[in-house]
Amino acid sequence: MSEHLNNPLLIDYLRRELPPEDDALVLAHLEKCSACRREYEVEVSLSDALRAAAAREELEFPSMIAARVWEEIRNAKPSPIAQLAAFFRPAIAVPLVAAAALAAFFFATPFGQHGIAPTINAAYYLEAHAALQAQNPLDERGPAAAQFIEIAAQDTSTSTALADDVNLGLAAPAAFDAVR
Amino acid sequence: MPFVKLGPVVALAASLIAGSAQHSAAAAVDPGTQLLRQAMDAPRAVSYVGQLETVRFSSNRANATIVRIWHLAPSMTRRWYLAPEALYNDYIITRGSSSYQFDTKRSELKISHNPVLDDQVAAEDSLNRVLTNFRASVARGEIVAGRQTTSLILVNKYTGERVMRLWLDTKTHLVLKKEEYHGNGAVASETRFEELRYTSAIPAAMFSTETPSGFVQVAGRDYAMPSADIDRVIHEAGFTPIKPTNLPQGFALISGDATTVNGVRTLHLTYSDGLRTLSLFENATGAAADFGALRPQTVQFEGHDAQYVEDGPTTLLTWKEHGLYFALVGDLLRTELVEIAKSVVL
Repeated sequence: MSEHLNNPLLIDYLRRELPPEDDALVLAHLEKCSACRREYEVEVSLSDALRAAAAREELEFPSMIAARVWEEIRNAKPSPIAQLAAFFRPAIAVPLVAAAALAAFFFATPFGQHGIAPTINAAYYLEAHAALQAQNPLDERGPAAAQFIEIAAQDTSTSTALADDVNLGLAAPAAFDAVR
Repeated sequence: MPFVKLGPVVALAASLIAGSAQHSAAAAVDPGTQLLRQAMDAPRAVSYVGQLETVRFSSNRANATIVRIWHLAPSMTRRWYLAPEALYNDYIITRGSSSYQFDTKRSELKISHNPVLDDQVAAEDSLNRVLTNFRASVARGEIVAGRQTTSLILVNKYTGERVMRLWLDTKTHLVLKKEEYHGNGAVASETRFEELRYTSAIPAAMFSTETPSGFVQVAGRDYAMPSADIDRVIHEAGFTPIKPTNLPQGFALISGDATTVNGVRTLHLTYSDGLRTLSLFENATGAAADFGALRPQTVQFEGHDAQYVEDGPTTLLTWKEHGLYFALVGDLLRTELVEIAKSVVL
């Protein structure tokens, strides 16, 4: 390998995607050729910069803690005033919810028989499903699935898109051959 | 043929496959099947330290996680989260069917039990379902995390669609890279080891489940072992459920569970084709789903207003019919969920 290395080859080497024999040749060339080594170092710096940029974007991921707080608030069925206070003052949300829950327990229960129907948290469905999916040895989510769900539940920045709305009126996917 | 009558057929097919597998010493096993079995068995045989990156795609976004993993065969694993930011520095230790989730931001240790995590019978059943429904073909691999791999492509026998591609370490058969595909060919998720070192010399302290100083121990969820006795489960639920009559081919009812959630008796029926799982939840108490911070979209079908939401490639559809509330969850496209839902309400 007397020629200089081209960029695609250097990138493949950097990503460890070359076959072993080519990988060894590139390594040997880099040890001897300072020009290619400089080019390689530029690629390494660029990759690092891209990773750093990606890491900065990850900061946009939502917080699991807030998700749990909101879940507790919903489960406690606080008054609208308490919800409003919690919304504006997260630091006092938990005490307010606890107070509202106590008030609901001591004062509201006798009148609640004909009140609001019970609900089931959608996260429960997702978690219970993920727990069963974990029995598949090829599933990598494992016990951590619940954490991912908490994150998704907390993220209110984007709603679920219905990009393929037009499909609703179309024929079923090929996989759906009625079994009956 | 009604869907519910498929159970015995699938069971027979599975038992035939299982029976033939017992004669594998003499009979020729195709390379794809053999590799798949080795891939499923690998985590119970090899110990390693590595870094795993996963990207799960939904229709309008992607969720990425980076996890440092210490795995001591057969069943002790520590997962330390580097990304996303919300999970940074949290870690989960799994010992058999028990999970210890260390939340370093809340100084909280949550302990959960999920018997299916360490259920070898269920894993074997899962493999048999995969072999029944998918064709495994061997393809050229690549270098992943510095290791030579062999690639395995799983194709749905009924539709011819590629549903998953695996890259297995040529020597240990550990899955080093995986891509899952939706029915329309789009990538649903991608998982890849970026670093990997095989070693069993992992300090025992890495798997310590002691409550760290300053941490509070809280009870997590204790999942019940799902039952294959569906009639008994339905009896325990206390109401007559409606089952789907139209499922993607290869899916079969495999288990059920009746439990009380927030005071509501809830039936959970599970369908699987071996690779993907579909959950149908029903309750007769009028308990709708509370989406909380999730923002569902309204989907209309057969005169119903259903609520739809995505968690990565996992999709959830809820609706009401004949006094029953339904929730359908699976790693399926929305259009697929709607087709199943239509067959539930008919």
